[in-house]
Amino acid sequence: MAKILTYFLQNQARILTSTWEHFYLFAVSTFLSVVIGIFTGIFVTGEGRERIGRILLTITGAAQAVPSMAVVALVFIFVGIGFAPAVIALVIYSLVPIIFNTTSGLLSISPKLIEAAKGTGLTNLQILWRIKLPIAVPVIMAGIRSAATINIGTATVAAVIGGGGLGDLIYTGLKLQRTEIIIIGTFLAAFIAILVDILIAQAEKVITPKGLKISR
Amino acid sequence: MLIELKNITKKFDKQTAVKDLNMKIEKGSITMFIGPSGCGKTTTLKMINRLIEPTSGDILIHGKSVVDMEAVKLRRSIGYVIQEIGLFPHFSVYENIAVVPRLLNWEEKRIKERVDELLHLVTLDPSYAQKYPMQLSGGEQQRVGLARALAADPEILLMDEPFGAIDPINRLKLHDSFLEIQEEIKKTIIFVTHDINEAIKLGDKIAIMNKGTLVQYDETDEILHNPKNEFVENLLGRDRSLKALSLEKTKGFVTHEGYVITGPNDDQGSLREKMKKTRSEQAFILDENGRLLGRKILVTKKTGKQEMIQDSNPVVVDRNNNLVEALSKMLESGEHQLPVVSGRGKFMGVINLSHIFAEVTAAEAKNTIKGA
Ligand SMILES: Nc1ncnc2c1ncn2[C@@H]1O[C@H](COP(=O)(O)OP(=O)(O)OP(=O)(O)O)[C@@H](O)[C@H]1O
Ligand SMILES: [Mg+2]
Repeated sequence: MAKILTYFLQNQARILTSTWEHFYLFAVSTFLSVVIGIFTGIFVTGEGRERIGRILLTITGAAQAVPSMAVVALVFIFVGIGFAPAVIALVIYSLVPIIFNTTSGLLSISPKLIEAAKGTGLTNLQILWRIKLPIAVPVIMAGIRSAATINIGTATVAAVIGGGGLGDLIYTGLKLQRTEIIIIGTFLAAFIAILVDILIAQAEKVITPKGLKISR
Repeated sequence: MLIELKNITKKFDKQTAVKDLNMKIEKGSITMFIGPSGCGKTTTLKMINRLIEPTSGDILIHGKSVVDMEAVKLRRSIGYVIQEIGLFPHFSVYENIAVVPRLLNWEEKRIKERVDELLHLVTLDPSYAQKYPMQLSGGEQQRVGLARALAADPEILLMDEPFGAIDPINRLKLHDSFLEIQEEIKKTIIFVTHDINEAIKLGDKIAIMNKGTLVQYDETDEILHNPKNEFVENLLGRDRSLKALSLEKTKGFVTHEGYVITGPNDDQGSLREKMKKTRSEQAFILDENGRLLGRKILVTKKTGKQEMIQDSNPVVVDRNNNLVEALSKMLESGEHQLPVVSGRGKFMGVINLSHIFAEVTAAEAKNTIKGA
């Protein structure tokens, strides 16, 4: 315990940098995958493209079983080492739940409801923004939440291909066989993960339309 | 002529859903589309608001081809009600009704007034505005659906089996308020149904379709008395003279004799005198607005003594009930005279069993003379 405190006090700057790097890697990759994932989900579920959506749903459903290390390794082989490859690996990996949830959320909306919206005189864009997306929000947010959790975890692994962050700290600890460094790195990574999860859960509550929270 | 369908044909791939349809629909009337499943009713309806584009032919509204109108604008000017889940679950009742007015950029104050007015029209309490669709019963949802379709006061209303998922008892209630509402708003309504009794009860005219073609399109009583062919006869069923009875609304048979009207706090003694004098068995209790609160019945005991019984929940007939419905209520309750009320509970008079029988006899005679 004393060792942990000593290391912490003596290496504050490094720990802070690692934590920031870790968070930065997480934030950039999650942001990118949310944007790309939701856009893809919207595109493949557009009028007349529902078949593509269903195919993508099967693919992403199966892809969730691929281990994160495999993706990191593949990106290393094809792209190399550094911050950018780390981001690419995280984006690819966390896209899967976002695309899966966005697509399934949008596809599960009854076609009758969409027809009612159309018959009422809403344009396709209005149907997307006012009807489809708000109704699919809970499912999409669940996807974002699992993507974020995945990214926080995988960000640690991404240190092996030069992603930096708390993963770096942990690997240093492993190399030097110093438990206190490992503990600090692990603790901070877990702390960020929990914080992010709470924040997203909170955001989910705020943006889920009231009418969808009511159950009979 | 408000709506005109000219040589409308719709083909899906190779299958023809609607074949060379021609019809004219008058302003302010209810036209019922009926026919077997897959005969093209929904397809026809959706071609009017361009949810489906015809393969050939033309549809005119006020003499103007719908193809020349912008689809979105056209739809905003036509109310559209469908079966079940037509309401947006994430919108409150208020927001659901406000959809089209908001698309049309109405001021919020005007929207609020309109929502209040429409909730009143479909007999829902103003407190419903803040509820969500999932908190409503099926019948209430359909009322909101109707209110939403009426929001921007469209001239035309398209309804595709709007009451299809409602249980029979509530469907009857919805029919009555639907007719009551139509009396007020006088819209041009095109209504698709599976239920021949619904078609007869609600329709000014009925359009019978089979395999994509129009078999017969006529006034409702014309169809009942002169079915064009066997297909129509089968659709109507065998009890046609009884069905003809369902063409007559209760309100045409209301009488104002054989009962007494009283207030909630009137004197018992003088009421009894009045009932004896007019040979009335029943006295109806009305509030100051003419709403029916209950009734008092004079019963003669075995001992010969007469006693006054109060009934605060009497069986009533809605003035838009047809004679078949009124008759079945009489049979169920064992009464030969029932009070008639309006949709808002206002007392209108009574209907007597003997009058209904007279009408049955007349209808029988009419059918026999025409000879099938
Ligand atoms: N989008 C479509 N693509 C292909 N075929 C269609 C499509 N819509 C309808 N059809 C076909 O056109 C025919 C008429 O369908 P429609 O929905 O108009 O029937 P309907 O009279 O409304 O039947 P129901 O009483 O069951 O609602 C049916 O055979 C149906 O299979
Ligand atoms: Mg149909």
